[in-house]
Amino acid sequence: MEIKAVREGVYEDRAGFPRQYGPERSDHQPGIPFWPHEVYRDLVITFLLVAILFFLSAFATPLVGPSANPAVQPYSVPDWYLLFSWGLLKIADLFPVIHVPENFGGGTLIGTEIDAAVWGDLLTAIPVIPIFLLPFIDRGRETRPAKSPFRAAGGMYMIAFVFFASVYAANDRIIATWPFIHDDTLKWLFVVPPTLVLVASYVGIRRLGFRDMYWWIVASLGASFAIVSLVAAQVFVLGPWAADGIDPLTRLAMLPNNPAAHPLFAFMIIVLAYTGIVFFAAVALRERKAKQWVLFWSLFFFFLAVGLVKFFADTNPAGVGVALEVIAYHGNWFIAFPLFSLITYYVGTRTPYSTYEYLLNECYQCGKCHTVCPVTKVEDDALGGLNLVYNTFKKQHDGVPLWTCLACDACSAVCPLDIKYSDYILEERSKVMARPMAADGGRRSAE
Amino acid sequence: MARESLVSRLNKKVFGYLASRFPPTPWADLTRRTVETVQRQVPRSHAEKYELKTIWYWYPLYCLGGISFVAFILLTITGILLGFYYIPDGTIQFTQTGDVTSRAYESMNFIMNDVPFGFMIRGLHHWGAHIMIAAVFLHMMRVYFTGAYKKPRELNWLLGAVLLIITLAFGYSGYVLPANDLSRAAATIGINMAKASPGPPWLGQLLTMLIFGEPDPTGFYIIRMYWLHVFILPMVGVLLMILHMALVWIQGVGEPH
Repeated sequence: MEIKAVREGVYEDRAGFPRQYGPERSDHQPGIPFWPHEVYRDLVITFLLVAILFFLSAFATPLVGPSANPAVQPYSVPDWYLLFSWGLLKIADLFPVIHVPENFGGGTLIGTEIDAAVWGDLLTAIPVIPIFLLPFIDRGRETRPAKSPFRAAGGMYMIAFVFFASVYAANDRIIATWPFIHDDTLKWLFVVPPTLVLVASYVGIRRLGFRDMYWWIVASLGASFAIVSLVAAQVFVLGPWAADGIDPLTRLAMLPNNPAAHPLFAFMIIVLAYTGIVFFAAVALRERKAKQWVLFWSLFFFFLAVGLVKFFADTNPAGVGVALEVIAYHGNWFIAFPLFSLITYYVGTRTPYSTYEYLLNECYQCGKCHTVCPVTKVEDDALGGLNLVYNTFKKQHDGVPLWTCLACDACSAVCPLDIKYSDYILEERSKVMARPMAADGGRRSAE
Repeated sequence: MARESLVSRLNKKVFGYLASRFPPTPWADLTRRTVETVQRQVPRSHAEKYELKTIWYWYPLYCLGGISFVAFILLTITGILLGFYYIPDGTIQFTQTGDVTSRAYESMNFIMNDVPFGFMIRGLHHWGAHIMIAAVFLHMMRVYFTGAYKKPRELNWLLGAVLLIITLAFGYSGYVLPANDLSRAAATIGINMAKASPGPPWLGQLLTMLIFGEPDPTGFYIIRMYWLHVFILPMVGVLLMILHMALVWIQGVGEPH
């Protein structure tokens, strides 16, 4: 379309041509006036905040506590927003003490040694430094999480890392409350759950952008199954009976006759079977069937585990103690990985609902799709002009593009932003027919 | 002709005196013209201007920065009120019965027990701080996940990062002030962290003496934290906050679209 004609408003308000907003136009100002609308809304938020504060100060008054006393070493944790630093300080002694030689500036430039205290300072900087570097690292223009999945997943990783570092800060309190939890297990919280959060969010966010995540699901669920199997094997070969001095294979053969091992045995079978079945369903079954399987076996194994705990608590309390100890020690694997399997499978195969519009709305109304669209050349309803993508997300299409579209993909081919319009049309049609498409676009699961 | 009432005459006298010396008319006109013509609304975002469909259910998250600012104003008001009673002296003293105390701790007890509604004011200050820090964290997450730190808003992200550190420093210096057991434990950790700062040994010593004023927490750290809490951090913080919000006004709200 000619810019001049647009400037003069020749096409204004004709079908398919949106109103053009530009700097010269001051008569039409979309938006909400600051007064009174915005002010009222802000006042409501402010009063709500003040009300919450008054409620908290009246019913949860902060007490001053005992005075500072140099003679008493108090047990205190910092406020929650500095807990992450306290947690990182607590693991600082895992790092080696480095003696700095004289000719590397030891003593004058860097200090004579990097000990746990210095490591603590450096570790506290871990979540802080990326915040300052962020605008220099990420130079891309894409703002939406679904379009830059690694950034979004990285953010989830940092949130999980800070959260679990804060959890670790209370390690002595946790161990005092639940003595069967081991400090090593809590130390692994710095590594395992944040990584799982990273992978699961990456898979889920890519799926939100309508990507086919089949191979990611296969890889992550397979890795989950393999790791759980390895840890389970290690428990049985070296596990809680390692101290009795019997040959591992002989002991493994003896385990079925050892009643103290039965609850642990049952739990291992449940965890292995569950991760294995989810993996198998994701790899081999058609998607709709696989979803049913995952749901069924999740519920089945959950109730089976609850029932078994109830059963063994009555008949075999010693064995339950052993099982609890082992499971708690390997909690990062035996509890986090089955959950990870379930969540990754769910977020990796779910059907995004309105989010396709959020891919369509990149459209800046160049009109190329209208130019190439064969339907608009023959269809009466569309002759006046039909900016397909723009009109679709404005819900102005009156059903014409939805049911007359040939899915020839000519519009996607010319789209400067690579908007997959025909995918959207097929998705919408499948929604109307109440048969949601599979996550892979039907390539593997065609029935 | 009825004589004008006394109030009306006083009104005219006072406002006439002020208006002849500080005429508000040009400024009021300018403001009204601006409000009524150029910027009748809050600045329109790109999405609003071009009627693009955005992720509308994220919009409530856009009030988090405002919430932290409102909380900051509340903290300023309650902080000024607390400042009338608080004594920043952490020197260890002994009561008649031999218990350890300090004037800061005594003044905290005075605020909590004797000042009318003092516990309420301190409660507002305490919980307001928690809400402000939570809002700042959530605000940062919102900015991160909507990619609002990207060009052209890099500088504002850096300002925000500095403001985050300032907010955390506000929180830390704030909970050190009551001179209770938590205060002493926090000061011990802080002093040890400052001492162990990476770099040459004199840097750690310098930072410790600069921030806490003593190498071991005997009570002098209270006055340093107090000055940080009521003067340095508010001054720097308010300055940066004004800049932060001015940049939001100039650059517009960064929406994902």
